[in-house]
Amino acid sequence: MSESGNPTTGPAEKRARWWRPELGLALVVLALGGFVIAGTLEVSAAASRLGVGPRFFPMLVGGAMILVGLCYVADVLRGGRGDPEESEDVDLDAPADWRSVGLVSGVFLGFTAVLDALGWIIAASLLFFGLSVALGAEHRLRAAGVGVLLGISTYLLFVKGLGVTLPGGVLRGVI
Amino acid sequence: MESFELLLGGFAEALTPVNLLYALIGVTLGTLVGVLPGIGPAMTVALLLPITFTVPPASAFIMFAGIYYGGMYGGSTTSILLNTPGESSSMITALEGNKMARRGRAAQALATAAIGSFVAGTIATALLVVAAPAVVSFAIAFGPEDYFALAVLAFTAVSSVLSRSVVRGLASLVLGLAIGLIGIDQQTGQARLTLGIPQLLDGIDVVIVAVGLFAMGEAMYVASRLRHAVPEVVPVGRAWMGRSDWRRSWRPWLRGTALGFPFGALPGGGAEIPTFLSYAAEKRLARGVAREEYGKGAIEGVAGPEAANNASAAGTLVPLLTLGLPTSATAAILLAAFQQYGLQPGPQLFDHNPALVWGMIASLFVGNTMLLVLNLPLAPLWARVLRIPRPYLYAGIVLFAALGVYALNATVVDLVVLYLLGLLGFAMRRFGLPIAPAVIGMILGPMAEIQLRRALAIGAGDVGVLVRSPVAVVLLALSLLALLTPVFRRLLARRAPAAVAHVPREED
Repeated sequence: MSESGNPTTGPAEKRARWWRPELGLALVVLALGGFVIAGTLEVSAAASRLGVGPRFFPMLVGGAMILVGLCYVADVLRGGRGDPEESEDVDLDAPADWRSVGLVSGVFLGFTAVLDALGWIIAASLLFFGLSVALGAEHRLRAAGVGVLLGISTYLLFVKGLGVTLPGGVLRGVI
Repeated sequence: MESFELLLGGFAEALTPVNLLYALIGVTLGTLVGVLPGIGPAMTVALLLPITFTVPPASAFIMFAGIYYGGMYGGSTTSILLNTPGESSSMITALEGNKMARRGRAAQALATAAIGSFVAGTIATALLVVAAPAVVSFAIAFGPEDYFALAVLAFTAVSSVLSRSVVRGLASLVLGLAIGLIGIDQQTGQARLTLGIPQLLDGIDVVIVAVGLFAMGEAMYVASRLRHAVPEVVPVGRAWMGRSDWRRSWRPWLRGTALGFPFGALPGGGAEIPTFLSYAAEKRLARGVAREEYGKGAIEGVAGPEAANNASAAGTLVPLLTLGLPTSATAAILLAAFQQYGLQPGPQLFDHNPALVWGMIASLFVGNTMLLVLNLPLAPLWARVLRIPRPYLYAGIVLFAALGVYALNATVVDLVVLYLLGLLGFAMRRFGLPIAPAVIGMILGPMAEIQLRRALAIGAGDVGVLVRSPVAVVLLALSLLALLTPVFRRLLARRAPAAVAHVPREED
């Protein structure tokens, strides 16, 4: 699969379009550069007499970000494109599956919302179950079983064994 | 032979039962995460940082070193048994290795990879023993302007080498630098870029950044384009090789080591270039059977690049330990680990903590031997790990990522930051921004700032102080050269179109 080089250069892609998703990332870099500079201006310059204060380096970084951001925007507008990273489990020919990304995001943010209330064991089991189903696990019952097993075993190993703090939640006192 | 005595002392440290156990845990974990797609040594070390805080530093670094070396071994197993390129450093191994496996020579491919890694790792670690004190004695006179120039070189070299597009490498770097700015300025106590959120005063923990960019980002990226076909794993028995394989392998091992070590030690050198060079060199030198087999699964094409890969890992440790200069993402995380223990790698580390440094170096020899034992007979077991259903694998990775991040401060805010960084990591993968410059920028950025301010303080505000020493001038000139690589690349590309992208097609 890897040997075919850039796989998605179809005729539709060659047509120069003004907007491309990558432009969004380039603009984020540019905007963050502005943010770094604006944020740094708020830092009071009351600083050491010798050398430079706390503003100097952030200004350098912010300036560099704006410069790099401008070059990046220009590159994307001129038709430059990054090669999506190759990975063992990634099919570069497949169209982006936004439903899965949305599901993964929803499951994870849901997990952060209920973690403190439900406790690690239940929340982590739900996280595992939700993610594996979102990623296409076929046996839901097995995914649920593995999730519960992982939730309990990580809790026992890390809280009881290694002294890590994890929320007990509704099962506090039971385990 | 002072370093030899120190090394013996290091062995005394590394061979205590407790540290042997940590080394064993390290190499086993390292091999596991190296074999598994989606996670690598950088993220594993990052995840272990909060948990190992109670462990004495020497033991922790012995374990981390084991993870680093183990990851290199494990990566080769994946690339030989699966026909999909994984980490860039083992991409070249897949070219000949997977073809060997398909011809029923998986056992020999795994064996030459494991033994070659052992040989290269051992020789390269010995070179590290020799090189490190030499670099230390050279670097002891470095001033802050030299360290600043070194950091600039690391930034530019990593950004321009790791990506085919320099502007994308630099974009990754500045994102990392900006993340590194968040929090209280160490010298004046001023809060910077915290948006008034008290949890951000301490900055964003390196664990969250590494885990977010690597684990969360990878999981979301995989979710967007999951390969639905079940990966085809070539079945394999115990790894072994016959007499003719040995005869064909030993020279590529040595040549690969010679290429890998210096490239690993250079900022931005990494493992990709030497593995590619080794592959090309073996191809050119191939005679007889090897020449016929090249492109269909020649053992030389596995032996050389695998040796180069491992030697470069040892090479990476030279600038890390002697100068505090990370040249790869894993090295950057190791640097963060040193900082967690209040240690700063550099010439002083060799003076003040010889037991720690030499114990870690000695443990590399020990870990290498363990890895050989672990990988030759256990190859079928590692192959089975590759068959884990992907939904479970990535769900598990995210679960452990959440666990490691929550364990830091026991606050849900960190998990939200983790998710946001995951989105960033996803976008970076999607658009081909390399991750390593961001990690290096985030960890090395604050140190570059300290050195810069120190240098300017010495110069009483005169910027000329930055180019006062010849060392700094040379380093800054090299940085400029690194930024100009696209120009060289365009010149090269005119001669051999797309040579880098189409390695296997580059017939002469």
